[in-house]
Amino acid sequence: MTTVDQVRAAVSTRGPNAWTGLPGSVVALFGGWLANGLIALVFVLLIVLPLGLVLVQAFVPMMFDPLHPGLTFDPQSLARIFGEPRLMSAILNSLLLAGTVSIAATTLGAAYAFAVHRTNVPMRSLLLGVPWLVFLTPAYLKGLSWVLLMSNGGYLSQFGLLPAPLAAGFFGPAGLVFVHTFSLFPLPFFVIAAALAGLGSEFEDAARLSGARLGRVWLRINLPLLAPAFALCLIAVYAEVLSDFGLASTIARVSGFGLMTYSIYVAASAYPVDFALAGSQALVLLLLVVALVLADRLLRRQAAARLISGRSRPARIYDLGPYRWLMAAFCLGVALLSVVLPLGAIVARAFSRTLADGLTLSNLTSDSLLEALTVSHPSNQALLRSLVYAGTAAALAAVIATVLSLRLDADRRIMRPVVLGVSLGAVAIPGIVLAFGYILLWNRVPGFRGWPLPRYGDASLLVLGYIGAALPYCLVIILTAVGQLAPSLTDAARLHGAGWKRRTVQIILPLVALSVTTAFLFSFIRSVFELPMSQLLVPISGPAAPSEIIHMFAKEDEGMGSALSLVTMLAVGLVAGAIWLLARAAFGRRTDPAPVKARLLATVESPA
Amino acid sequence: MTAALSCRALSKQLGDRPVLRALDLDVASGEVVTLLGASGSGKTTLLRLVAGLLTPDRGRVSIGGVTVWGAGAAVPPERRRVAMVFQDYALWPHLTVEGNIDFGLKAARLAPQEIVARVRHALEVTQLGAFGLRYPSELSGGQQQRVAIARCLAARPRLMLFDEPLSNLDAALREDLRTEMMALVRAEGITSLYVTHDQAEAMAVSDRIAVMREGAIAQLDRPEVIYRAPADAFVAGFIGGFSLLPGLAHAGEFMALGGASAPLRTTATLVGDVSLVIRPEDVRPVTAPGVNTLTGRVLSRAYQGRCWRLVVAIADSKVRLDWPDGPDVSSELTFSLTPENCTLVAR
Repeated sequence: MTTVDQVRAAVSTRGPNAWTGLPGSVVALFGGWLANGLIALVFVLLIVLPLGLVLVQAFVPMMFDPLHPGLTFDPQSLARIFGEPRLMSAILNSLLLAGTVSIAATTLGAAYAFAVHRTNVPMRSLLLGVPWLVFLTPAYLKGLSWVLLMSNGGYLSQFGLLPAPLAAGFFGPAGLVFVHTFSLFPLPFFVIAAALAGLGSEFEDAARLSGARLGRVWLRINLPLLAPAFALCLIAVYAEVLSDFGLASTIARVSGFGLMTYSIYVAASAYPVDFALAGSQALVLLLLVVALVLADRLLRRQAAARLISGRSRPARIYDLGPYRWLMAAFCLGVALLSVVLPLGAIVARAFSRTLADGLTLSNLTSDSLLEALTVSHPSNQALLRSLVYAGTAAALAAVIATVLSLRLDADRRIMRPVVLGVSLGAVAIPGIVLAFGYILLWNRVPGFRGWPLPRYGDASLLVLGYIGAALPYCLVIILTAVGQLAPSLTDAARLHGAGWKRRTVQIILPLVALSVTTAFLFSFIRSVFELPMSQLLVPISGPAAPSEIIHMFAKEDEGMGSALSLVTMLAVGLVAGAIWLLARAAFGRRTDPAPVKARLLATVESPA
Repeated sequence: MTAALSCRALSKQLGDRPVLRALDLDVASGEVVTLLGASGSGKTTLLRLVAGLLTPDRGRVSIGGVTVWGAGAAVPPERRRVAMVFQDYALWPHLTVEGNIDFGLKAARLAPQEIVARVRHALEVTQLGAFGLRYPSELSGGQQQRVAIARCLAARPRLMLFDEPLSNLDAALREDLRTEMMALVRAEGITSLYVTHDQAEAMAVSDRIAVMREGAIAQLDRPEVIYRAPADAFVAGFIGGFSLLPGLAHAGEFMALGGASAPLRTTATLVGDVSLVIRPEDVRPVTAPGVNTLTGRVLSRAYQGRCWRLVVAIADSKVRLDWPDGPDVSSELTFSLTPENCTLVAR
């Protein structure tokens, strides 16, 4: 019989323990160690070592001293942070700002989520897109656009919409709270919208049948059930504001309102460079963020358990009658302040000669935009560089994450929880801290300095930085997708004679292709707009678009800066949209987009 | 004759818990054997060990006379030529019906004409000819199940494994598909190992049933033998909703504990501490008072179309009966059992 012969042949060609797919095999064990070693190496080089070097600076300040390097333990820099009023106020300002914004953004996000998910507000589809637009706009662009709107002689003043006291007060804590709130409300919106979706009407029905009125139902049933989601939002926004570099380097800098991230940037880049101080501040920032993220993880588990259980009926939609137009006005107001005005200001400025001459026909010009579209122009060069760097980084991050995910899915005992832990922790590392670590590792540590790739001052280091920042997100997205595949799919392939290569290429990869594309696009968009890495790791060959935009605004060439921002957003939108449509056409049948979206929501973070 | 499947002293431990305990099983060529048991009895573990998706701690597995595990052999699943119909069918969603069917044939590097012929045959016998270019998501549950079977048939396996293939379907569809599926398997003469926890399903599909308990086979026999003569109280309790009435047996008579009845005559030869197996359909209304009768109090009644299903309390036991009418709850009921139907099992 053919079958028996094949089985016999398989047995006869098999040496002792030669089946690498079988547990206990020496080859499998050796291969497993090798693979785990490579995974560990990737994480050590991209995250652990750079971060470690930053933190060590706080205690060994002379480690990279150009004149007298040494390994003497000296926590003086750490003590300096708490002794020097300027540094201490940066910490307090950051904490105060984060606290205020977390409450304001959570309230706004929750109200918006309730309006579009639980009421019959008109234009619901349109309003649902607003948080995504805000989320995908980088923080520094929002900051710069509000500078255009609120500055003395800015657009709002020109239209007489801005009373003088309001304009004066904007460039300070109040303005920062305002811009942060309207920038970050999508985060609580996503979390609370998901929680509301999980809150089936059966809880409400049961309460009403027990005699509770609507107000009491919300006070005693729905809000307590949503409490973990609210706590999660407060923590997530708090961590976001603490880590933010976009507004810290725009509005806060212009206002003279010192924040920790910008203070780290100054210590690590301004002459004389003070690595020890930067490291000490980074340590404090990281401790604050990590403590919050740990609390976040704790609450996330509780929230999931509470909200998922027992849901069997769809959520109730409230009919507001004529008041739905009032609700629509509220939502449109949010859209106006979070999207229309900021993006409108960028567009208007991109088509204007000067800010002072306002929106008049004589001031209208397409020069800046044409220059930004001219290949030989420096701004266009910056854009092209950004697209190439971000594309390369996103592709490499997606490939590395895919390979790691396939390996980690097979090894669920040690490496998977360790790598997932490091990845989730790395999500919380502020970009500025990681970028600083890359400088230390690749510019100061003997043995790393002379590498051809990556090399300090070269685009390769910036690309590596983008990969390091994007990898944790990619890994979480792809690993979740791989983990969601029913084991029976690959078991069936095995039983039909497919070896691991065929199983990987013909079964697993096609099924996770859409998630890999999502991870690629997420990394691509994030990297194109990534500011702190771009600022600290500027290649000698020229800056990336975010640095160029900030630089143009700093030298008051806002027209060109706005045009470059606009062209960058359009280019990224076109490229990402085209790739997504192609991927959907090719792989759309294979995966359900809902889990991808859920994963994105779970790892959501505004770029820069 | 060489068994198509032979398992010898197969043991498997998951964590600290032994899942299989030195289990022996032989399946003859063309035979359909069902592993029937409750959750945790080890039936799915045994199936996966045979497939090679799990590795035994000890023992030997042979397929078609060739050892695939044990005595130094370790043939991976992809070389065992074993096919499986999974509980969730495990159809690859990104491949069409034809793609699902020819996947394994291409992996085996069969000649293109052979692949086409096998796919066509598999589609024909499963009546899926019109659906070859559809994707699994475009098919009904029943059609998906037929694709899963077609995929296995096309592979012409030495052994076909069924892992609760009907558990995702509603009751009406389940019976139709069960009949259809087993007709295909019988027609192709494929040796099969079938896992289920549903005794009615096991009875319907099997040549023999292996009732499993805590990693061992409690009884392996033809369905009708297990039905008429369960090996012990566990098997009797697991099969067919039988009720057990504890008592003592002596000299062809059974006396229920607590004096719940007069002695019952039985053809069983067992003596000592026993349980009387009462099959719901075996009881009859009393025609001659005092002859092999039992009396109890009706606890509940439920109309089932052909008859009423009653639960009757006899001493400390609850007994399920099929009855021609529906007596009032709490009323007293007397019924009879013929001596031939008074099956006894050791307690």
